[in-house]
Amino acid sequence: MIRIKNVSMKFNLGIEKDFSFKQLFINLFSGKMKKKDYFWALKDVTFDVNKGDVVGLIGSNGAGKSTLLKVVSGVMKPTSGKVEVDGVISPMIELGAGFDLNLTARENIYLNGAILGYSKKFLDSKFDEIVEFSELKDFLDVPVKNFSSGMTAKLAFSIATIVNPEILIVDEILSVGDIKFQEKSKNKMLEMINGGTTVLYVSHSLESIKELCNKVIWLDHGKVVMMGNTKEVCDKYYEQQMGR
Amino acid sequence: MKNIFSNFKKYWFLMKQLMSRDFKVKYKRSVLGVLWSLLNPILMMAVMAIVFSQMFKFKVEGINYLVYLMTGIILFNYFSLASNMAMTSVVENFTLINKIYIPKYVFPISKCLSVGIDFLLTLIPWFGIIILSYFGLGEHTCTITINYLFLPYIFICLILFTMGIGLLLSCVSVFLRDMFHIYSILITIWNYLTPVFYSVEILPKKLQFLMNFNPLYQFINATRTIVLYGQMPSLENIIALTAFAFGMLFIGSAVFKSKQDRFIYYI
Repeated sequence: MIRIKNVSMKFNLGIEKDFSFKQLFINLFSGKMKKKDYFWALKDVTFDVNKGDVVGLIGSNGAGKSTLLKVVSGVMKPTSGKVEVDGVISPMIELGAGFDLNLTARENIYLNGAILGYSKKFLDSKFDEIVEFSELKDFLDVPVKNFSSGMTAKLAFSIATIVNPEILIVDEILSVGDIKFQEKSKNKMLEMINGGTTVLYVSHSLESIKELCNKVIWLDHGKVVMMGNTKEVCDKYYEQQMGR
Repeated sequence: MKNIFSNFKKYWFLMKQLMSRDFKVKYKRSVLGVLWSLLNPILMMAVMAIVFSQMFKFKVEGINYLVYLMTGIILFNYFSLASNMAMTSVVENFTLINKIYIPKYVFPISKCLSVGIDFLLTLIPWFGIIILSYFGLGEHTCTITINYLFLPYIFICLILFTMGIGLLLSCVSVFLRDMFHIYSILITIWNYLTPVFYSVEILPKKLQFLMNFNPLYQFINATRTIVLYGQMPSLENIIALTAFAFGMLFIGSAVFKSKQDRFIYYI
């Protein structure tokens, strides 16, 4: 389903500096040589995900989890290595990234749906279902800028999960909304997982990882430290983090 | 080629949504709303007409100067506005590009099209002046003929040309943000180098020849030939504007395509 082979991703940290005359000028007088300012967000990562797998990604901040998700979803092309993905991806990397705050909830459902690649016919037929799930029926014609952050997240989650994607990419989103909505969104996720959707799931909550995933990959500084059985990897990870 | 079309078809709904977003946001909370799209060009034309024909006493022999001026203005304004908005569109949508996979060309292309809708609306008052020229507006009347049916082809070519420039500029501006500032100067220079309010005949012969290499002159000249004289543009004129349109679109998309994977590093 997803094959990641020797994927590396290099970021150039100094890119903004290199381009300005100001910096050039400063460097000229301070006599500082341009130092190489890059780092590897991912280094030689290889793994396979089979159909129906629910894979958890764990690691400390900046370990490369989100970069890995972006490489899989096609937002970034890896510097080297190969990414093969069969199937339709639904990315839930950042909820509501496609919202225009000046537009109403109704308009945003269509705009965000289009950004996620849904067709007009599909959105027309699922519109009521989206509204129902988001619990925002009374606020349909209110501009999203007047929404609370919880309401925005609810709407975004409802739009993103309306499809039954073959591959679902989830980055820390199950903590949106109030307790009731959290429960509802978790059930929705479980429903998708039981329906055979392949999931890549990033979270810092080991509990929810243990609950949902059947396989875990532990990343650190862009490298795979360990992968395999959920309980084993999570325990090792916890030990290492706390032992520090 | 087939690939391009199926991809375009797939993202057409998204582009339509982006265009309607542009319109909705533009007129949100304004009292007159979409009416501004019509009112704006009418008022602008009135101001221009007064400034150039009454204050500066500009004239071009034997034709209706008002129509001459407006034709130049609406075509040039479309180009300058659309190319400018297309240029900033990719950088403006970086947060989105960084989060979700969307083909990046949809941003400059949809901008060119949404400004294109505004352009179509300006054609209404423009056509109004042409008709009014029959009723004594300005010194000479225009001649409406069957050749007017050729106008859409010229406009489509202009839009394709603008898309090419827009793709190129949006790509360059990702790597060099100074482009925003450079281009605003360039467009002013270009405006004066194009016979929008003056006639090409006031230039020395040598410069007149050079004018053929100004793509916007080709579009404006062809439109004027049809509107003011009721004649078909010359064959060279048609070939030149077609070549500029498709050539620029090809160059713009080729550059954009080859560089788009690197955009993400320059956010």
